[in-house]
Amino acid sequence: MRKLLSALALAGAGCLLAGEAMAEPVKLAIIESLSGGQAAVGKMFLTAVNYGLIKLNNEKAWPDGFKLLEYDNQGGASEASDKVKAAINDGADIIIQGASSAIGGQITGDVLKHNLRNPGKEVIYLNVGAEAMEFTGPKCHFYHFRWNGNAEIRLRAMLLAMNDANALGKRVYVIGQNYSWGRDVQRLVHEYASFGGYTVVGDIIHDVNKIQDFAPYVAKIKEAAPDTVITGNWSSDLLLLMKAAGDAGLKVRFASYWLDQPGNIANAGATALGHYNVSSFNAEANGEATAAFADDFKAKTGQYPVFVQGHTVHGIWGLGEALRTLKLGPDGRLSVKQLAFAMEKVRFDTSMGEIAMRAEDHQALLPLVVSVVSKDAKYKVDGTDMGFKPVRLISGKEAAGPVQPSCNMERPPAS
Amino acid sequence: MEFFVISVLNGVVHGLLLFMVSAGLTLIFGMMGVLNFAHAWFYMIGAYIGFTCTRTIGFWPGLIAAPIIVGACGVLIERFMLRRVHRFGHAHELLLTFGLAFIIEEVIKLFYGDFPVNYAMPLYMKFAAFTLYEIDYPFYRLFMGGVAIVIFAVLYLLLTRTRVGLIVRAATHRPSMVEALGHNLPVVFMGVFAVGAGLAGLAGAVAGAFFPTGPNMGVDFGTLVFVVVVVGGLGSLEGALLASLLIGLFMSFSVGFDGSLADLLGLVGLSDWAHEVGGLLTLQLSTIAASTPFLLMLLVLLFRPAGLLGDRQ
Repeated sequence: MRKLLSALALAGAGCLLAGEAMAEPVKLAIIESLSGGQAAVGKMFLTAVNYGLIKLNNEKAWPDGFKLLEYDNQGGASEASDKVKAAINDGADIIIQGASSAIGGQITGDVLKHNLRNPGKEVIYLNVGAEAMEFTGPKCHFYHFRWNGNAEIRLRAMLLAMNDANALGKRVYVIGQNYSWGRDVQRLVHEYASFGGYTVVGDIIHDVNKIQDFAPYVAKIKEAAPDTVITGNWSSDLLLLMKAAGDAGLKVRFASYWLDQPGNIANAGATALGHYNVSSFNAEANGEATAAFADDFKAKTGQYPVFVQGHTVHGIWGLGEALRTLKLGPDGRLSVKQLAFAMEKVRFDTSMGEIAMRAEDHQALLPLVVSVVSKDAKYKVDGTDMGFKPVRLISGKEAAGPVQPSCNMERPPAS
Repeated sequence: MEFFVISVLNGVVHGLLLFMVSAGLTLIFGMMGVLNFAHAWFYMIGAYIGFTCTRTIGFWPGLIAAPIIVGACGVLIERFMLRRVHRFGHAHELLLTFGLAFIIEEVIKLFYGDFPVNYAMPLYMKFAAFTLYEIDYPFYRLFMGGVAIVIFAVLYLLLTRTRVGLIVRAATHRPSMVEALGHNLPVVFMGVFAVGAGLAGLAGAVAGAFFPTGPNMGVDFGTLVFVVVVVGGLGSLEGALLASLLIGLFMSFSVGFDGSLADLLGLVGLSDWAHEVGGLLTLQLSTIAASTPFLLMLLVLLFRPAGLLGDRQ
């Protein structure tokens, strides 16, 4: 009797387990800076990912739905590495990260190693923010997909738009931070001198987020008398640089990549007017389409999409497009390898224009908008009377740079 | 010549600002031996108080309210927290203040948000004091430098020419004797801590209007403040001033200095070899300008561990 009961119990449990095995949601792990200095940015990525998943859930891009696991990398590369291990242990299929190329570099390396050592249990690294060139260059690999811009794409867009508006001038100064991203920007500004029709009159590399007093740097810039200063700086480095330039009465135009970070315009005040910024989304950039996206985002999250959120949402939608073409594997689970093969062919329309993933280096060819800080902008930011007025919308194809020769992607056999 | 003059000017003003933030820590560290890790976070509280006051009662009342409120916080912390861990040693005091730093930062983020806030000086202070080599020098920087000098003068006179100062200095060297003579030692220490914290608050209210006021303020200044105190010598006010000026000048000059070790080796004809080796030898001083204070601290600790003007303690 007891044997019968225990057998029945085991059978019942087995049935339950079997039932579980059939319902496997796609597990996304977002490993972001949710505490520490970059927490504000990390949370923006999180909000955008959650918004992107709404559409995927509505359209049932995956029959068993999605599960988002959150991990805090505390703004450090070694903590991020620990969290990658934790996420993989928790069964994550896709790892999402954006804030900081330094952390992204760690994650992409860890993901590559894991995939090499665990064939059949691969994970994808969905890069929605790390913009250093190495991710689609020497560090490129089959399971990394970059859905945001990179240093080259953004620079091309900026130069095209600023030359169009006759705002670039002939003398350019570049100042940047001393790590992968900052050095990439510096190198590219030098390389693109003939493309943009300017000469580089000077460059500065400085420590990341350590300098409080930019006055000496402003003095150096002043000596070189440039028309435009291109800088990849973000957060307090950008703010302090602009404030120091404004205080010193330096009449120069700033061309920045990250001026639209919330808080920057409020803090810089009128000093910010007239400076240029390149970003992945602007609610005013494409008329009705972008306005509708912005309004829907606001309805679901409480605020307009800012900063990195535009391309992050598009990255999640790109994932949805890839999933749409897949069927369940024989064990009822998602095959990450098949997902990767599908994702590198994705091409879809967004409010900003068409986004296409380039299979050679897994860099998304995405449209960018160059805007200028102005009081005429339709959407004001930071509770001030200023906003980002679009100057030109650059399509994905126009902005795209060439595939880097340093990217030698090893492709798995398409079994 | 232009580079030299501008670097000296920038360096001196930046150094004075550093002194303003670290004067309080020198006092606390030197007089009480308490490693107050949260000192830069007192600075942050002062800045946010200045921000709140500017929006409600005005900029100048903010400059008065900030040191008072932060000083009061200092009193509460000393009386109810530090006094309990005093007997366990300096390491425990450091841990307590370390934890305090985190709590202060998160509480501020709770009320003011994760992003920098727009704490700005009143418009009538936003002009160029003078123009040197076609670069405007903002008046507010001179104002900050002036406040720092006034703080130094007041503290110095307080410590050397008043009875209170006498008692405080005596309590540093011979605490039990001072107590035996009938002075209330715990109150003296509480007062020192309060004044130190209040100075940090004042520095925050003044400097926060110039530098971005945000949740990262504490982290930005945190380690630099300790460097100043270590380099200047524990308990030495003049040492702190000297150290701050040195650090400010160091940082200012190294920004403009594109030389590297390879160039130095070029003096003995090894320049090509050094450039080939690359790496550390071709590292330009200007790229590590912000790390020069730590280099200075390393040198001081190697050759003069008590600090530049510190007593042997």
